[in-house]
Amino acid sequence: MSKPPLDGIRVADFCWAWAGPYGSLQLAHLGAEVIRIESATRMCPTRLIPPWAENEKGVNRAGYFNQYNQGKRSITLDLKKPEGLGVAKKLVAKSDIVIENFAAGVMGKMGLGYEVLRKLRSDLIMISLSGYGTTGPESSYVSYGPPQVALSGMSSLTGYQGGPPQQAGFSYGDPNGGVHGSFAILCALLHRAKTGEGQYIDLSQREACAMLLPEALMEYAINGTQPDRNGNRDPYLAPHGVFRCQGEDCWVSIVVGSEEEWRGFCAAIDQPGLTADSRFCSLAARKEHEDDLEQIVTLWTRGRTAEAVTHTLQQAGIAAYPSLNGRDLLANSHAAERDFFVDLEHPEVGKRRHSGIPWKMSRTPCAVRRPAPCLGQDTTYVLEEILDLSQDEISSLKAKAVLV
Amino acid sequence: MPGGALAGFRIVEYGDMVSAAYAAKLMADMGAEVVKVENPVGGDTARQRGPFPGRIPHPEKSGLFLYLNTNKRGITLNLETQRGQEIFRRLIAQADLFLHNIHPTRMSALGIDYERLAQRNPALVMTSITPFGLSGPQSHYHAHDLTLWNAGGLCYLNGGGPGSEDLPPLKVFGQQAGFQAGIHAAVASLGALFARVRDGLGQHIDFSMQECLMAISEFAGIMPAYANQIVVRFTGNKAIRPLDIMECKDGWIYLCCVEEHQWKGFVDIMGNPEWATEPLFATRLERAENWDALKLFLEPWVKEQTVQDLYHKAQARRIPFAPVSTMGDLLDSEHLKVRGFFAEIAHPQAGTFPYPTAPYHFSATPWMLRRPAPCLGQHNAEVYGELGIDTREIEHLRQGEVI
Repeated sequence: MSKPPLDGIRVADFCWAWAGPYGSLQLAHLGAEVIRIESATRMCPTRLIPPWAENEKGVNRAGYFNQYNQGKRSITLDLKKPEGLGVAKKLVAKSDIVIENFAAGVMGKMGLGYEVLRKLRSDLIMISLSGYGTTGPESSYVSYGPPQVALSGMSSLTGYQGGPPQQAGFSYGDPNGGVHGSFAILCALLHRAKTGEGQYIDLSQREACAMLLPEALMEYAINGTQPDRNGNRDPYLAPHGVFRCQGEDCWVSIVVGSEEEWRGFCAAIDQPGLTADSRFCSLAARKEHEDDLEQIVTLWTRGRTAEAVTHTLQQAGIAAYPSLNGRDLLANSHAAERDFFVDLEHPEVGKRRHSGIPWKMSRTPCAVRRPAPCLGQDTTYVLEEILDLSQDEISSLKAKAVLV
Repeated sequence: MPGGALAGFRIVEYGDMVSAAYAAKLMADMGAEVVKVENPVGGDTARQRGPFPGRIPHPEKSGLFLYLNTNKRGITLNLETQRGQEIFRRLIAQADLFLHNIHPTRMSALGIDYERLAQRNPALVMTSITPFGLSGPQSHYHAHDLTLWNAGGLCYLNGGGPGSEDLPPLKVFGQQAGFQAGIHAAVASLGALFARVRDGLGQHIDFSMQECLMAISEFAGIMPAYANQIVVRFTGNKAIRPLDIMECKDGWIYLCCVEEHQWKGFVDIMGNPEWATEPLFATRLERAENWDALKLFLEPWVKEQTVQDLYHKAQARRIPFAPVSTMGDLLDSEHLKVRGFFAEIAHPQAGTFPYPTAPYHFSATPWMLRRPAPCLGQHNAEVYGELGIDTREIEHLRQGEVI
């Protein structure tokens, strides 16, 4: 077995919160050495929010931080001090990639803009992930993850039939922005491998979210309209929805994808006669009588568990799956069999189950090599082994309270 | 800078709808040479899904297909035939990356066999995007975008609100499972290409759509592992408020006050009303606990505002409000115009419309349009010609329903 794809690639990671860290997480998954530059004077927000392990607060006990920073290292530097900035620049000079998700212009104001950093390393690849991008009349606007879903157009399109715009249930704009960022970085890495040339990438999270909405954007571009909010329904398929099952707040998702599957579905629910019912005998008919259709499906599902429904329908060749909650997710036997979950021992919170890497590579396997870092745990390693600082230099930094 | 960041990479894509197509589109837009393989009859099923001009279905005019397949060349090939599989192997023999989203149960019948393909081309990277991966007890399960969004734990998180207890968990609009699989699989694929450049050898990537959705499920997996609780859509993650969509005179706005100074700024915009001094609303945690009461005061005031006015006023005070943008808002946005996010693309049959381009600006290798989405089989002569198959042979194969 060979070294992971990005073995030997070093990332100076100035990211915080979720979007940026999710992007650098993909690089860590691919085997890069990702070094988070943190500071107790400017703590990453995700070290400060619950859930805490055993409900005890602590910057190394935050589940959210520990999930999205698996595999990375952490150095603490006070970037407001010139010595701290100096160390950060030394690290950048030894790094292939700089990634940051501050508001537009913040890195520049700190003295860490691309024009400065590329002088330290001419083939540097740097990416800025911001809500609005670094150009344009709204580039100075403040952007948080949750409003991105609304800003990008997604909320306008999401919601129950006849109901108001809804959110996504989670801060979807963040991981989406982050993963598009890691794609961009890899493009730049491949370009550099061929030409020796680095570059600067300016990514807008709002635009990354808008990339996911072509059916609506193109409808507006072509016809001047946008799709009405339609719950879990689909314009081209029926049945297509999430149906109540036995148990408290238990649901199953079902999609019947063709006329052949519809016949199989009717047989599977012991209602073969439905195929002859004029309300349901074609897709157009089922769309017209979709309320009735969904009632019939519910009558069948509500007396059964989501697992039983799934099993029966999958046997009949139909797409169905329970609506997993968080506990179901971690207990999912299929994902567990695939070794998707990571159960590493964290120095402060012990063994916790985390979601892992959604791909398996046959020749250069990827694995989460270490849990998320405790704050500043790798400061000595970075200063001594990467930057080759002397003990005197390190002592001096400590004395000036730079390494905090 | 001829070509783009991925210039020189030859990519073959085969599949339906979103995941493989989006991954390949992102690469084509960055300069890779992408050949999209489609079945001769009907092609990619995305061609049957609109939006269509005037709502009239036409396989060359699907907005979804047109967007997902910019910058690619398109050929037709019937992989259900021996001859088709033979041609396919010749095509893959020259490829750097082969991306597909064919279901695991159909792969071998179509000749999609990594071991065999790699024998002839050991540098090949092949990425198999499947609903549940290529191994495990449910790898044969059938799936659609909605069932995967549920299998990833994401649907369950959404749709709460007063009076909604009988309503099901709510999906996000569109083909989100497909898009997330596409972008994540693109990351993995480029990683493997980077390893290929280093080692001269390719490999097989087994990519599970369910797993990538589990990976982005925010608090869903974390809450049970750390706090022995689950996230339910009725209360959501609202430890802080307002973090909510509210109706304005002419649309909707997302109110977002995470820090105390942001709330104070909002109170100031509202003219410092008496009710805002209530102890019930003093801190963000209390505002969340007393949201039902707070809403009663906020809603009537917000209803009198216009979206853009409130949005810009708030942002002027560094409060992260955002409009609930409509598609019209996006296409008319001055900011997005300056960003160049949309570009007019002309297609020989569908016509000319604005399309989203890319969410990133590269200083050295920018996004570039070389060609619109291909018509079905548009590049048969060109691509098969490169394989040494002349036009007479192509015609013969077409009659034999191989091409």
